[in-house]
Amino acid sequence: MSVKTGDRYGGSFASDVWTTFVRWTIKSVRNPFVLVVSLVQPIIFLVLFTQVFGGVATSALEGVTYETYLVPAIVIQVALVAAATSGIGLVNDIENGMFEKTLVSPMNRVAVFVGKTLAEVVRIIAQVTIVLSLGVVLGAEIATGLTGAVAIAGICVLFSVWFTAFSNVLAVVTRDEESTIIGANLLQLPLLFVSSAFLPLPALPTWIQTVATFNPITYGVDATRAVMLGEDTMTVIEVTRFGGMWDTLVPALAVLVCLALAFGSVAIYAISRAASADVR
Amino acid sequence: MTEYAIEARDVAVTYADGTEAVRGVDLLVETGEFFGFLGPNGAGKTTLIKTLVTLLRPTDGTVTVNGFDAVAEPQSVRATVGYMPQETSIDPELTARENLRFACDAYGVSRAERGDRIDELLALVELTDVADKVADDFSGGMKKRLDAATALVHRPPLVFLDEPTTGLDPAARNRLWEYFQRINDEGTTVFLTTQYLEEADQLCDRLSVIQDGSVVADGTPETLKRRVGGEILDVELAEPAESERAVAVARDESLFAEGATITPTESGLTVTARDARTRGTDLLVALRDADIGVVGFDVRAPTLDDVFLAVTGERTEAAAADGGDVQAEAVSNGGDAREAAMTDDGETGAAPDADGVSR
Repeated sequence: MSVKTGDRYGGSFASDVWTTFVRWTIKSVRNPFVLVVSLVQPIIFLVLFTQVFGGVATSALEGVTYETYLVPAIVIQVALVAAATSGIGLVNDIENGMFEKTLVSPMNRVAVFVGKTLAEVVRIIAQVTIVLSLGVVLGAEIATGLTGAVAIAGICVLFSVWFTAFSNVLAVVTRDEESTIIGANLLQLPLLFVSSAFLPLPALPTWIQTVATFNPITYGVDATRAVMLGEDTMTVIEVTRFGGMWDTLVPALAVLVCLALAFGSVAIYAISRAASADVR
Repeated sequence: MTEYAIEARDVAVTYADGTEAVRGVDLLVETGEFFGFLGPNGAGKTTLIKTLVTLLRPTDGTVTVNGFDAVAEPQSVRATVGYMPQETSIDPELTARENLRFACDAYGVSRAERGDRIDELLALVELTDVADKVADDFSGGMKKRLDAATALVHRPPLVFLDEPTTGLDPAARNRLWEYFQRINDEGTTVFLTTQYLEEADQLCDRLSVIQDGSVVADGTPETLKRRVGGEILDVELAEPAESERAVAVARDESLFAEGATITPTESGLTVTARDARTRGTDLLVALRDADIGVVGFDVRAPTLDDVFLAVTGERTEAAAADGGDVQAEAVSNGGDAREAAMTDDGETGAAPDADGVSR
């Protein structure tokens, strides 16, 4: 006799996404410490940089205040820091057994990654809103208005995907909180400084301009800055086909989408194979 | 219902570093059985469980769980088993109710059924009063009970429990045993690994012992105990340091029938023999003649601890913690204790049926 048992195969993809999203959102709300702490460094950068470099830099920025110039870089930094903490959450899940429990359930692996990332997206939107508001208070201007502010949040979300994926891959590979934090932090500051984040690229050494061309942060910052200023700001790729800020947005968003797909695929593969990868 | 909840044939699991954690294991677990899987630390118990619940892919062999091929149909296997891993696996930042709700949603329990099911499970594991408290504040026993409840949300026909009571105090352990016995009485097949042989003795219909990745014995607890071969004579010496000399005396005098095993322990020595009761006094006389002081002795029926020692040459971690040897060197009149590796057929190694599968 061989009658198969069980006719339930878990929920749908959407319900698996929702289930994961709800769990991670509850954890975020219950632990606002992470939200607040990950805002500290970007806010310090925003306040300090505008005070220290504001006077010098504004003269080189042709009519744009340094506050306006800097805010796009800070919101991208916020997304970067938030994405870096994503892996830490996964390490905690591995340590407290929830990761294994999820893998042994019939939940869709892609949905699990998407749901967790969506919860982090909500946190990033909240943080970006706080930083944008602070920037405006400090004197920054968003040329494209409220629509532009929403677009900036959207770009930050898109930008965060590749680093969220990277951070999760680090977590799965190292399975250690400290290693994940060190690995993610090791890249954050150098990547910010060898990009168009804090100063216009033409003002930086040639080698930094070359590295910046291959640095994802350059594309995130240029895209948010284009929306902030309402004009074409990209210098690493010359595009004139779309006109105005779209000459920056189209190539920058294309690069960010490709990065998100590439890193996201690697993360999903790593998470799916996490348990069995050790076996021949 | 399938006849067998688990059919594993010639299963091998080799890790990327070359470690052969499981080698050619054959296993049949009947639907509705309470099955115990025992073995020393590092014997391959957890690796095999992880293979059965699809966390690991077997390097070789076939695994069928609830009628589904674990490699070809992993989603179907996952949907029809409950798994309680060795380490407590609950989200400490969620409440008990939220943990159960997450588990319900993960296994596709319908919204109409979810609320009642959560209340029912909270009552089963006696956590109703703290249902809305964050799990991080729970004691170890409460976390384990919640963990067990999350493995049962979808009423799986088969539940894997990997050392579920390790680290719990006896009262908490007893409560969990009651829950496991109850779900088994209701028809759920239970696959249990444990360090506590008393737990296996009390709960399991049948046991397998794994060592170095291979099944070395299986049968009902009573059958295995009978196969130890006689009774157990425990001798407590005035000077435990003399246990090796006492073992030599017992062996040299050929006091016991062929096949007896004589094992040094922390407090003296243990003799397993058919004539342990009748020849016990002869041993005491021999020890006195050898000027070895005896402060106590006891003749008793074998326990699963004795089975475990005879089969694996080791005591379980739990038994060792209670005062036994972690790695006792067994000396017998008839050969090494491991030769006593037992099966229902009384043969060495796992007992194969006509299909070459241990049952």
